[in-house]
Amino acid sequence: MKAVLWAQFCKDKRNPLVVLLFIAGSILATLLFAGGVSSPTTVPIFSEEKNASEIEKKWESLLNVSDSFRFEIMDPKQARENVRDGNIDVAVKVMATDYRLVANSERPTVSYVQQHVEKVFNREAQISAIAKTQGEENVRSEIENYLEDAPFQLDTQGLDSEHIPKYNLSIQLLFAFTFLISMFIAGLKVNNVTNDKVSGVWNRMILSSISKTSMYCGYVLYSFLITLVQVLVVLLLFKYVMDYEVGDHLWLIILIAAFFIFSMISIAMLITGFVRSPEQFYAIYPSLIPMIPLISGSYMLPGTITNPVLLFIADLFPMVHAIEAIMSVVFYSAGFEDVIMSLLLMLLIGVVAMGLGINLMERRGH
Amino acid sequence: MLEAIHLSKNFKGKKAVQDVNLYLGHGESVGLIGPNGAGKSTTISMISSLIKPTSGEIKLNGVNTITKPGEIRKILGVVPQELALYQELSAYENLHFFGSIYKMQGKELKDSIEQALEIVGLTDRQKDLVKTFSGGMKRRVNIAAALLHRPEILILDEPTVGIDPQSRNHILETVRMLNEKEGTTILYTSHYMEEVEQLCDRLYIMDHGEIIAAGTKAELLSILSTEDTFKLELSKLDGNFIERVRAIEGIRKVEAFQLQMKIIAKKGSNLISELVHLADQQHIQIINFQTETPSLEDVFLHLTGRTLRD
Ligand SMILES: Nc1ncnc2c1ncn2[C@@H]1O[C@H](COP(=O)(O)OP(=O)(O)OP(=O)(O)O)[C@@H](O)[C@H]1O
Ligand SMILES: [Mg+2]
Repeated sequence: MKAVLWAQFCKDKRNPLVVLLFIAGSILATLLFAGGVSSPTTVPIFSEEKNASEIEKKWESLLNVSDSFRFEIMDPKQARENVRDGNIDVAVKVMATDYRLVANSERPTVSYVQQHVEKVFNREAQISAIAKTQGEENVRSEIENYLEDAPFQLDTQGLDSEHIPKYNLSIQLLFAFTFLISMFIAGLKVNNVTNDKVSGVWNRMILSSISKTSMYCGYVLYSFLITLVQVLVVLLLFKYVMDYEVGDHLWLIILIAAFFIFSMISIAMLITGFVRSPEQFYAIYPSLIPMIPLISGSYMLPGTITNPVLLFIADLFPMVHAIEAIMSVVFYSAGFEDVIMSLLLMLLIGVVAMGLGINLMERRGH
Repeated sequence: MLEAIHLSKNFKGKKAVQDVNLYLGHGESVGLIGPNGAGKSTTISMISSLIKPTSGEIKLNGVNTITKPGEIRKILGVVPQELALYQELSAYENLHFFGSIYKMQGKELKDSIEQALEIVGLTDRQKDLVKTFSGGMKRRVNIAAALLHRPEILILDEPTVGIDPQSRNHILETVRMLNEKEGTTILYTSHYMEEVEQLCDRLYIMDHGEIIAAGTKAELLSILSTEDTFKLELSKLDGNFIERVRAIEGIRKVEAFQLQMKIIAKKGSNLISELVHLADQQHIQIINFQTETPSLEDVFLHLTGRTLRD
């Protein structure tokens, strides 16, 4: 088994470009599709009134109440330029009691910002209207006190936690893309079995004193390790360099990823069992793999897919279980016991697929 | 020491090998020859325990190797027809890998790699990647990979296919040396008769999945002892003439190629005058005429009605 591992490693060491490209690809994909929304979006505010700085200060503190946006005072000219150049999606021009949005696209951020700003300005308008008719100075604090203990309160509660944490799709996308790429790497490496069968290297191994089990273990273990390295590199990079919030249980996430990789390798083995040549594998595998995250709903908020047939098919693949488990670790601080079901499901998928795949391959040999 | 008895193999109903009997004695050098698709590789795969025969037996010193392949695998080296190598690795790394799957390591492994490289004459190029090698050098690495565990029996499946004459001679010399100096038993497959003639004590001729003749070179040639072979070069040649020659009493086989004819006839038949007469009638000049001592190629032609290659 060590010999197989060693030979596979030497080949990749000679030719590391493919693996490196895949790692870079998964980082790039995450940044491209999930980038912007991850950290609070900075929205410049500015005023062009006479007492600009006073107005800016006032609204800055009133607007900065949401985690999703950070409102920053900026020079009007610079803010407009930034929007025009597309560096920033939207800026807010504030006046004493009114505002204008400066934007040059219809990005989702624009309407989120609009909703938020609208709410703040409306409230302020109400407060100042009441203050005017009542003539009271401390009406603001009264209203705030009242609202804090209003007669009608909507209280959302999670099933087992105090509150529902904010679900961040971009973190989910990070894992979806990382796993998508890792499925490709795993498949590519598993396909080495077929490659070596066609080239005759496999026959040489059969004639040698190495056992069949060691042979399969060598290939599977190598695919596993190299894919795990990819996931680790991407994960650590996003956690420590790009400050993505992936929760406190990194080890648990890695464990889930490991189970996912194992069961994906098994599925690749199963597909290998059906193909005759490496070329056939290259034709089938890459067209099959991108469908897995799609039907697993990995690019969408949980609960988006409701079709029972699709849900059932998705359950047959490890992706849905892996994402579900990881998201519960990231957002709901789930522990090992909470994800054990997902782990077992992935293990089951893995064992069944691996068994079938190896059986098919062995049968094809004779 | 190794024998195949009534060996047959069907692929999805198609008969690739039928009723093959083959024997390899200790220290012998045996050739297996036949045209493309004759079933040579299939026979070899069965003997080396890579595929199971549909029927028949293979015995190593009397022990069935189909149910117990362990013994034969230990003493067998197989040079496959295809280049079973990692092209991305160097020659040394390849041999290191193929040695370590035989559970060799450390000095033992290093020594046998060096020796194998020495035998195939690639010591200087061991650090280079196999994919940068010429076809002949790749073939030599392919052979070296089968020598690492010092096999008692070496099976080579067309080891000289598609390479330059120099590499080919090198390989033939290597095989001869292994047989004569190291006492390795050789089963050498080829569709080049001259290689097998040079190398082997005995040979088997295969066609359409069957062994059609077997024996030493002399034994095989004696098949033709009742025949004469003539070669003619003519000023022109047409189908009509060939038909008429065929019709001559005592003629067994006629092969025509461009302006040349090869004729096999019963020994002692008085056909020269008839040929001259016929050519005269058709206004064809005989430019060249020679009698040939029969070769093994002629034996093949005699047995199958075809030449080995084409
Ligand atoms: N795995 C297989 N499945 C189906 N048919 C096969 C298989 N392997 C070989 N054959 C068929 O069996 C016959 C014998 O093939 P084999 O490779 O043994 O011939 P060969 O004598 O080695 O020819 P060559 O000189 O081309 O190597 C051929 O007709 C071939 O098509
Ligand atoms: Mg062959």
